[in-house]
Amino acid sequence: MRKTRAWLLRFEGLFRKARQDRDFSVEMESHLQMHIEDNLRAGMSPAEAYRQALIKLGGIEQTKEIYRDRRGLPLLETLFQDLRFAFRMLRKNPGFTAVAALTLALGIGANTAIFSIVNAMVLRPLPYKDSARIVAFHTKTAMFPNFTLALTWPAFQEVRSQATMLEETAAFWATDRTLTGVDQPEVLRATGVSSGFFEELGGYAQQGRLLSEQDHQPGQNRVAVISDALWRTRFATDSGVIGRKLILDKEVYTIVGVAAKGFAFPERSEIWLPLSLTSEIEQNQKFFRFQVLGRLRKGERLETLQAELATIAQRIAKLDPALGKGYKLSAEPLLESRVHDARQSYLVLLAAATFVLLIACANLTSLLMARSWGRNREMAVRAALGASPGRLQRQGLVESCLLALLGGAVGIALAAGIVQVFRAIAPSGTPRLAEITPDWTLLWFALASSLVSGVVFGLAPARRAARMAPSDALKEGTAGSVTGTSRFGNALVVVEVALAFILLIGSTLMMQTLAHLLHQNPGFRSARLLTFDLPQPPQWNREDSDANATGQIVRLKDMLARVRRLPGVEDVVASDHGILDGMMYEHSGLQLEGALPEQSAVTESVIGRYISPEYFRMLGISLVRGREFAEQDQQGAQRVVMVNEAMARKYWGTLDIVGKRMSVSTDGKGTPQWNEIVGVVANARDVEIQDEATPEFYLALFQWGVGSHHLIVRTQANPDALAGTISRQIWAGYPDQPVRHVMTLTETIAESVGDQRMHTVLLGVFAGVGLMLALLGVYGVVSYSVARRTQEIGVRMALGAARADVLHMVLRQGLTLVAFGAVIGSVAALGAVRVIASELYGVKSSDPWTFSGSAALILIVGCLACWIPARRAMRVDPIVALRYE
Amino acid sequence: MGERAEVWQGTLALMVLKTLQALRPLHGYGIARRIEQTSGDLLAVNYGTLYPALLKLEQEGYVSSEWGTSDNHRKAKYYKLTRAGRKQLEKETREWEQTTEILARFLAPGKESA
Repeated sequence: MRKTRAWLLRFEGLFRKARQDRDFSVEMESHLQMHIEDNLRAGMSPAEAYRQALIKLGGIEQTKEIYRDRRGLPLLETLFQDLRFAFRMLRKNPGFTAVAALTLALGIGANTAIFSIVNAMVLRPLPYKDSARIVAFHTKTAMFPNFTLALTWPAFQEVRSQATMLEETAAFWATDRTLTGVDQPEVLRATGVSSGFFEELGGYAQQGRLLSEQDHQPGQNRVAVISDALWRTRFATDSGVIGRKLILDKEVYTIVGVAAKGFAFPERSEIWLPLSLTSEIEQNQKFFRFQVLGRLRKGERLETLQAELATIAQRIAKLDPALGKGYKLSAEPLLESRVHDARQSYLVLLAAATFVLLIACANLTSLLMARSWGRNREMAVRAALGASPGRLQRQGLVESCLLALLGGAVGIALAAGIVQVFRAIAPSGTPRLAEITPDWTLLWFALASSLVSGVVFGLAPARRAARMAPSDALKEGTAGSVTGTSRFGNALVVVEVALAFILLIGSTLMMQTLAHLLHQNPGFRSARLLTFDLPQPPQWNREDSDANATGQIVRLKDMLARVRRLPGVEDVVASDHGILDGMMYEHSGLQLEGALPEQSAVTESVIGRYISPEYFRMLGISLVRGREFAEQDQQGAQRVVMVNEAMARKYWGTLDIVGKRMSVSTDGKGTPQWNEIVGVVANARDVEIQDEATPEFYLALFQWGVGSHHLIVRTQANPDALAGTISRQIWAGYPDQPVRHVMTLTETIAESVGDQRMHTVLLGVFAGVGLMLALLGVYGVVSYSVARRTQEIGVRMALGAARADVLHMVLRQGLTLVAFGAVIGSVAALGAVRVIASELYGVKSSDPWTFSGSAALILIVGCLACWIPARRAMRVDPIVALRYE
Repeated sequence: MGERAEVWQGTLALMVLKTLQALRPLHGYGIARRIEQTSGDLLAVNYGTLYPALLKLEQEGYVSSEWGTSDNHRKAKYYKLTRAGRKQLEKETREWEQTTEILARFLAPGKESA
C-alpha cells in the first residue's frame, strides 16, 4: 500500500522534474547557509566554514544525483531516453523504418486476423447462460455406425427424467416453415422447441414474452416468438408486432414475443414455435430428429454423465430390441459440437499466419544485423564512454520493440480489414460467423505479438551490438566477426525459405484440390442448369395419407407443365433433392432379390433419390440397361426402381438385374414392399461433387409423393436471365408456394466448395506474402554481402576474374541458400501437410509434382532475387573497389 | 543499492522519525544536527544522505513537508510527522528493540546456557 503510493509519486516525479530540481536547489542552499552560519558562530573563518559545510554535505552534485534517483524512477527514465533515441533513429532512416514496419505489419496483421477469427469461433464461450455447462446429445446406432444422429422423442424423455447429472434439458427440431399472406411466400428457418428451451440457453425477450409452460399444452400451441432480425426485416420494426398473426403452412400463429437481439439458436433461426407432435412420433423409436441440450449440474463431470447415458441407452435398447446392440447415447459440450469440423482448418490457418510472422521476424533480424554493422562506430563510442553492455542491449531491444509496435499498429488496421473481408467471403454456413468482429482481443493480441516479435527479432542484433569490444570496433570491421555474422544471416535466410516453402506446398495442394473440385466431371451435362427448391409443409404436421400424396403429385405435375411451357426453357424435371446440394435421404434395411449371397439384406444405408420421368435423359446420364421411368409409372401401378452401376456391381455383381426386385420399406406387419428394377444407369456425381461413385438407387417420384420438391431446369440460353421468370410463373399458379435457392449449377458447385475456396484463398495469400518476404530476405543478405565484398571482388577482377565469374559467384551464393531452404522445407513439409490431408481431394499430400514444381518456382524466384545484387557485383570497377576505404 | 545502504537507510529513517516526534516541525539541516547531537557525536552523518531518506519517507506518507521561514529568516522546507508516520515509528521502534534484544543475548558473554 505504502509502496504503491511511493511508486505512484515517483512516477509522477518523472513529469515535474524542473520544478522539483529548483525546489531541491533552494533546500540545499538554505541547508548550506544554516550550516555555514553555525560554523561561523563556532568561530571558523568564512572560507573554512564554507569548506566544512560542503564536506559534511558530501558534495552538492552527488547529493542531487542520489536525490533525483530517489525522486523518479531511474529505470523508467533511461527507458524514456532509449525510446526518444530510438524514435530519432527510426525517423532518421524513414526507408528502413517503412520497410521494416510493413514487413512486420503483414505478419502481425495476418496473425491477429486469424487469431480473432479462431477466438470468436473456437475459443470464446458461446453467448448463452453458463454455456460451458451446456451439452448436446447424440445417438449412434448399429445401422449408421459412422454417423451421429439426433435423438428420438422417447429417448429425450428418458434423458430428461433419468439423467441426474442434468439440471435442465430441452429438445428442438429445426425445420423450415413457409410464411404466406405477406408479399411473396417465404421460407423461414423455424425451430420447434420443447418446454425449457429458452431457460436452458438463458434467452430473454426484448418485447412480449418467450414461450411458457402453458404454450406447450396441446391446443394452446399456436404461438410464435420471432427473432430480432425477422422483426426488423419482415415487420419493419413494427412496435405493435405482438399479437399479429402469422400464417405458417396455412396454420395461423400469434406472435407473442420478439427474442433479444443477438439471440440466435440454433444458428440463424428466425422463429421459435412450441413443438407439437403426433402421438405416432412421440412413440417412434427410430425418428432421430430431436436435437437435445442439457445443462450439467455445477461441479459434475462430463464423464459421469456419459456413464449415466450408457445405462439409459441400455434400458431404451432393451425396450425396443430393433435398436440393437450398437445403440449408444453420448454428450459433448455444445461449443465442441458446433465447431469441431472448423477447428482443424482454422488451426492450420493460424499456423500458416504464424509462419508468415516468423519469416517477417527473420527478415527483420537480418536487416537489423546488417544495419548494426553500419553502427559499429556509434556503439563503440558509446561503450567507450561507459555505457554498460546491458544498457546497449536494452537500447537495441527498445529500438526493435518500438519498430515492432509501429508494425503492430499498421498490422491492426490490416487485421481489421482481413476480418471484414473474411466475413464477406465466408460461406454462410460458417459457424458463429456473426460473432466474428474486430474487438479488444484483437488489439491485445496484436500488442502482445508485436512485443514478442520485437524481442525475438531484436535480441540477436542487440546482443551482438552489446558484445562488441570497443577496441575491435574502432578498428575497421575485422574479418573474423564478419563470417560469424554472415553465417547467422545465412541460417536465417535458409529458415525463411524453408518456412515459405512449406506454405507454398500447402497452398499449392489446396489450390489443386479446389481446381479438381471445380472441374470435376460430374457425370452429367451440367451446362445451363437452374435448380429451384419448392419447400413443402414439414413432415411433423402433415398427414401422410394417399389422398394428400395424390394432391401433391398433381400439383407438382402441373408446375412442371407450367415451367416447360415458358419460352427459353429447354427441359425440366423434378426430384426430391437438388443437384449437388449434398443432401439426400439414406435408406436402411434394404432387401434385395437375387443379390450376392452376403448382400441380400443390406446392413448399411444407401442413398436413394426420388425422380420424375426422363430425369436421366434430361441430365445426359446414360442408361446402361433397361428403361427409364415413364408416364406409366403412376400411383397404383407396379412400383418401380432404378439403380446405378455402382449399386448393381456391389450388391448383385452384375449389371443384368432388370426384372429383379428390391424393397426399401415394409408394411405394418414387416412384409417387404417390392419394387421392380426397370433400369440401370451410369454413375453420376449428383449429390456431392467430392463423392467417389457411391451406390445409389432411384424411385419414381410420381408413385410416392414425398416431402420435398426440386425443379431442375435446362435453359436454352443464359440461365440467370430466366430465373426470375420461372419463379413468377410458379407463383402465378400457386401464390402460396415459396421458391428458394434459385441457383445456377455453376453457383451450386461454387457454393458446395465454399469452405475449401476460402481456406485456399487465405492460405494462398499467406503463401504469397511468405514467399515474397523470404525472397526479400534472400535479396537483402546477398546484396549486403556484395556490398561488404566490394573490395574482394575488385581484387578478384584485378587478378583476372571475368565478369561472368563474379556473376556466377554471387548467384551461387544466393541459390545455395535457397536450395538449402527448399530441401529443409520439403522434408518439413512432408510432415506438415499431413494435417491438411483430410481436406485434400484429387491430390495426395506427398504429390511429387507439387513438390518439384514448388521447388522449381522458389529457385526461379530466388534467381531473380539474387540477380540485382549479382549484376551490381558484376559492374564493380576494380580501380574504384581497390581504393575503397 | 547495496544491502548495506538499505540497512543504513532503515536506521536513518527511524532516527529521523524519532527526531521529528520529539521536535516538530524541523528542516533538514536541523534534523541532521539533532541526530548528531543525540548520538553524542558518535555518528558522523553525511548530511547529503539525509535528503533522499526524507524524500522516501515523504513518498511513503510518513512525513509531510511545507515551506517555511527559519529563525534567521531563511526560506526552508519544514518536515513534520504524519499520523501514519507516528504508527510507523511505534512499529519500527518495537522491531528495533526486539532486534537489539536478540543481538544482546548473543553478545552477552557466558549466558548461552541460560
